[in-house]
Amino acid sequence: MRTSNQNDSDPDQDVVFEVRDLEVTFGTNRGESRVVRNVDFDIYRNETLGMVGESGSGKSMTSSALMNAVVSPGETSGEVTYYPPDGGEPISVLDLDEEELRKFRWGEVAMVFQGAMSSFNPVKKVRGHFKETLEDHNRDVEAGLERARQILGDLYLDPDRVLDSYPYELSGGMKQRALVALALILEPEVLVMDEPTAALDLLMQRSIVSLLKDLKEEYDLTIIFITHDLPLLTKLADRLVVMYAFDIVEVGSTEEILYDAAHPYTRSLLNATPDLNAPIEEMQSISGSKPDPVTNIPGCSYRPRCPMADESCAEAEPPMADRGNGHRTACFYHDDVSDEIPIPAMEAAEEGGEGE
Amino acid sequence: MTPKYLLKRLGQAILTFLVTMTVSFLLYQAMPGGPTEAMRSVILSQSGGSVDIDRLNRMIQLYTNVNPDQPMHVQYFNYASDVILRQDLGTSFFKNEKVTTLIMQRIPWSMFISVYALALGYSLSIFLGVMTAYREKSRFDSTVSSLIIGLNSIPYYIVGVVLIYFLAIQNNYFPTGGRIGSGIAAGYNPEFMLSLVKHAALPAISMGALATSGALAMRGNAIRVLGEDYIRVAQLRGLRETRIATQYLGHNSILPMYTQFMIGIAGVFSSAVIVEEVFAYPGMGLLMFEAVKTQDYPLLMGTLLVFTAISLTAIFIADLTYTLIDPRISVGEE
Repeated sequence: MRTSNQNDSDPDQDVVFEVRDLEVTFGTNRGESRVVRNVDFDIYRNETLGMVGESGSGKSMTSSALMNAVVSPGETSGEVTYYPPDGGEPISVLDLDEEELRKFRWGEVAMVFQGAMSSFNPVKKVRGHFKETLEDHNRDVEAGLERARQILGDLYLDPDRVLDSYPYELSGGMKQRALVALALILEPEVLVMDEPTAALDLLMQRSIVSLLKDLKEEYDLTIIFITHDLPLLTKLADRLVVMYAFDIVEVGSTEEILYDAAHPYTRSLLNATPDLNAPIEEMQSISGSKPDPVTNIPGCSYRPRCPMADESCAEAEPPMADRGNGHRTACFYHDDVSDEIPIPAMEAAEEGGEGE
Repeated sequence: MTPKYLLKRLGQAILTFLVTMTVSFLLYQAMPGGPTEAMRSVILSQSGGSVDIDRLNRMIQLYTNVNPDQPMHVQYFNYASDVILRQDLGTSFFKNEKVTTLIMQRIPWSMFISVYALALGYSLSIFLGVMTAYREKSRFDSTVSSLIIGLNSIPYYIVGVVLIYFLAIQNNYFPTGGRIGSGIAAGYNPEFMLSLVKHAALPAISMGALATSGALAMRGNAIRVLGEDYIRVAQLRGLRETRIATQYLGHNSILPMYTQFMIGIAGVFSSAVIVEEVFAYPGMGLLMFEAVKTQDYPLLMGTLLVFTAISLTAIFIADLTYTLIDPRISVGEE
């Protein structure tokens, strides 16, 4: 387990979610599958937090745990504390009873899924989805629908047309935006977006991202954006969380991660990012395969794939080392990483003086 | 829904009805000892052989709407025009009454137990299907599923006999037969209503057992729907469980079964023939059963046509209303 005292919240920051020792496990035929392992992190109010990592690294599970919504038979343990705005009583999300949890969901934290295409009940009009959400949370339906119209308008949709449509009558992009509007209907504090753009084409992706920026300003949102599209995140996120093998390996501001990544995995991930400006031979995939959630790798979980690994990496799990400015990384050799694993594209960009 | 589509579906229903009528008419006529032969022998045996041929044929025509002297196609044409233009199904030559009158007397009773059975069977199917899906692989699921498989492997009339034995003969919970207790005045009084329900209960339960076959299909659908994203999103949205169970899970699981349910109405109606015999419940089914036993061809033909009409109506209604329960189905667009 990583030493947690260096993970304590930054006193300068207004924390909205505090996650400590988060574990999600599934019992399988092959043994216990630990899909989230000892995750600690904070989410600051009104920030956009990006979560990256390969498929199956625990991103979605971690974010589901924020709403205690890990699908059964998954077991969630640890602490997830939610701090309501204006200094209300902190809520321990994993201890809420069923009714409290029902009220908490969507009212405080809303989630937009990758499967927007199938997130709507196919036999119910879009208006019905808004209405029932308002009703079941005991909100004023009339005022709520008025708000829905306004949000839909903000998302460049024709409110009445969308509300009067059945889900199958809308295009993918419209459904995606309608789902975002549905997520905002109860004025939640936090919006979790789990690969919201995965099924959309590039243009639609970019337009949703720019809409999100506006929405965040307008509705004072905290956004958690999960994706494996790193270039997309760099345009959107204030801070990045990099996950590998069911745990966080690096946390920091987007700038820090992008220009001063101090974990070998993050740097390899940056190298693996396709870039039209970079020649194809400079693109590098990460060798080896992703770890299995049932097996436990002693020491550093990235060791089998890491070019820098040595015996000490096998002996102990590297603690989160603080590199200042809230930049933390789980590598013994975080000071040497930038020399050992260069990022050619970044260097080329710096030499060319193009910035970004 | 366009008028064109409506007309097309109506035309198809009518065509099906005509084909059924034609085929059964031909089959009855082709049978050795067909209606006219049967009629002739009944009259001859009653009168001791002293009837002249012309009078005999006139009587046969009067009863069966068919003149045995005419060629087959003329007979058919006369019969068909009587049925369609005058709604005249002939006269029962055993009960000596108009077939339509007899059927009209019996139809409300059959309707009563069939609707009773359908309501029972379908609501049980839907309820059990959803419940077993919710608790998939639990003990409750395996018990209920095996029970339903067992129930569906046993013919409904056996269920009926078993019910009579245990609930009516061994214990006096229900009457063994009939449709109303003797000596109870008809009308809107509690005794009459109670007696009505009690007499209909066992036939309805055994017919309803037939309709619970839907529970397994419902279970399968519900399990599939439970895995859909919109169920998870509904839970994340903090919707009430009852809403999710009915409007999300229930509604979407019923969709693939709707037409099957409507066709099942015809199945339940036809099971009435045997069930009503088992329970001595004087409805349409028993009427048809008696008609078979006594070779009462006009009555047999009449009940058959009415059963056909009911089935076709049910399917027709199912077709037209499908769009109401599933908006994705647009009726009438090519």
